[in-house]
Amino acid sequence: MPGFLKEFFNRNGTGMGLAILGLVLFWTIGLIILPQLSMLDFSFRPNLPPPEIGGPKDVYTLENYKYLVYGPEGGSQSYNTVDLRVFFRTLLAAVCVTIFNLILCYPIAYYLGQSKGSHIRIFAIMLIIPYWINEILRAFALRIIFGETGVLNTLFTGLGIWDTPFDFIRNDIALYAGLGYAYILLMIFPMYNVIESLDKNQIEAARDLGAPWWRIHWRVVIPYAKPGISSGCTMVFMLSAGALAAPQILGGPSSLWFTQLIYQQFNDNNDWPQGAAYAIVLLVTCILFVLAVMRLFKVNMGDIGK
Amino acid sequence: MNNSFLRVSIWVYLAIFFLYLLGPLVIMSITAFNSSGFPRMTPWECLTFQWFGELFQDQRILNGIKNSLIIGAGTVVLSVAMGLAGALMLTQIWPKLRATYYTVIIAPILIPGVVLGISTLVFWDRINRMLGLGADSFLSNGIFLTVIGQSTFIASYCMLVLVARLQRYDVALTEAALDLGATHAQAFRKILLPFMRPAIASAAVLAFLASFENYNTTTFTFGEYPTLTIELAQKVRYGITPSISALAFIIVALTVFFALLNEAKLKRQELVAAARKNATVEELAGKIKLPSFFAGNMAAVLVVVFAVATITVVGTATAYNPGQCIANVKEQKRLEAEQRIQELRKQREEQRKKREAEEAEQGDAQQSAPKPSNNSGFGNVFAPNTLDSDDEDDATGAETPSNNGGSGGVFDPNSLQDNQ
Repeated sequence: MPGFLKEFFNRNGTGMGLAILGLVLFWTIGLIILPQLSMLDFSFRPNLPPPEIGGPKDVYTLENYKYLVYGPEGGSQSYNTVDLRVFFRTLLAAVCVTIFNLILCYPIAYYLGQSKGSHIRIFAIMLIIPYWINEILRAFALRIIFGETGVLNTLFTGLGIWDTPFDFIRNDIALYAGLGYAYILLMIFPMYNVIESLDKNQIEAARDLGAPWWRIHWRVVIPYAKPGISSGCTMVFMLSAGALAAPQILGGPSSLWFTQLIYQQFNDNNDWPQGAAYAIVLLVTCILFVLAVMRLFKVNMGDIGK
Repeated sequence: MNNSFLRVSIWVYLAIFFLYLLGPLVIMSITAFNSSGFPRMTPWECLTFQWFGELFQDQRILNGIKNSLIIGAGTVVLSVAMGLAGALMLTQIWPKLRATYYTVIIAPILIPGVVLGISTLVFWDRINRMLGLGADSFLSNGIFLTVIGQSTFIASYCMLVLVARLQRYDVALTEAALDLGATHAQAFRKILLPFMRPAIASAAVLAFLASFENYNTTTFTFGEYPTLTIELAQKVRYGITPSISALAFIIVALTVFFALLNEAKLKRQELVAAARKNATVEELAGKIKLPSFFAGNMAAVLVVVFAVATITVVGTATAYNPGQCIANVKEQKRLEAEQRIQELRKQREEQRKKREAEEAEQGDAQQSAPKPSNNSGFGNVFAPNTLDSDDEDDATGAETPSNNGGSGGVFDPNSLQDNQ
């Protein structure tokens, strides 16, 4: 038995040590690692009916990944333009949602982190309450507002700003507003935690030395808050790229989110390997993208999640 | 920049921000009380409580709540246990493994829920097949899969909450207990667990809420046990009714109530601590006067106001009958519709008269004109609009061809449009 294991059991006792080790192994290996590997393996297999699984036809193939790039074999187009467009549109929209949330939330996080008083507690509660409401219901609330006879359209046509109802849903405005709305808290809290620990004297020193307010933010606050900003952005990006409820409820009929394609492969086409391949592509692309952006802004992986 | 201007703009910004954050919830809650069949705020029709009644008669919603509670309980137990074990492991793992281990257990937070759901489904399906079990075995049961899938990432949340508290734990306490002859299990149960209780409670609440509102993972794993969120999503996607608003209102009200209650409790603890600090020795020795629940505690006052308001509303709801108002609105709508029909009829009548006048003028010239190509070949008789329309006005319209002789109503602008 290796030394550290022996020490572990000495410290926790055999029974407790086994319980802890068992639970941790079940979680890390049984729930996190093996299912992901199993999905990866599955994505390289053809879609077979259950009796043929494990048979001679069950060989590794790149078919599912090829499908995403080139489309069905013998198809009219040389590339699978529909799915690829959905894929890139999803990534681009997730980036836009993240930037929008960052700009929206940074002043709030700064204000909450730097001012004292009992009203801050009230603001914190008001921030958390929407987050406790079901994701579906939040999307539903936005649908009531953005619908064709919704509050906004009634308001604006009533005021005479535009004559015919504007279709927010078909123009994806409702979708972006909904995605931004869903993840505000995940953007604010990491930033707030970091900015709260910023010494006020630093800001005052910068001000005394004559820096205008925007330079104080640019040179003092933002560099200090970088870990918080990057974890907030990472979470919002990953979650909005992987969102399913908001696109299903708020998305227009013609615009799809990549997760909806995965959902269709699983539930409508019953092609699990294809769906698994799409999921792998989404996961790997998102992780690579986040790592690339983090390297671009010189943020360490260890800062995330603090 | 002017300081007061900056202050005003901060407040304006805060107002807009919270309007964006809370406005949708408020509007959604209000629509639960409008009698309009589609959830909307304007035009306001009648104050009604019927959507709540409808909600409580919806079997699928009730069944969803039941499944959600079962799955939530399972997820809380499993993920708090795994989170605690993971946190304990994190504090004493071999340093070289620590970074890798931390990445692995934190990763599920960042992995999209869709991916977690799929991987759970695929993996347990494979295990099931390897063990040679049928499709109805325990391992492919919707509740089991959902609990497993949700716990994968909810345990990470729990771990983060628990490890924050665990870092303040003094290991010497456990060692003292062991020296005094306690077994490891006793030391865990009597020393560590009481210390961790507040964190465990908040982790459990967090886990339950996360499980209750999860959609992305559950949508792949639920099998034959749809949770409340799944049922809601089905309803919202295929036609929305105000009874969803009613459910949302209940959830919003409960959330606000518990948030206020929690805040009131925290505030009270603070006040008690402050009173202890200021108390003299005699006061501490004798009876310390604790501040009453309400003194200087805004949140507590709000809780009571909220409770009273709820009772009043429920009280009026049972007594209140919006039947008269709804009937009025219905009557008004009927009148409006009738008026519209009248107008339409008038328009058609005028059109017809005009047409007849025109045709009378140049009737002879037209009869000799070649018949324009017409898909049906039967003139206007089979034009869709004659069959579809519901008012009698078209009965006369259908007879017009016989009046017009050969031309068969083909010159009717309506029929041309319809035949295209």
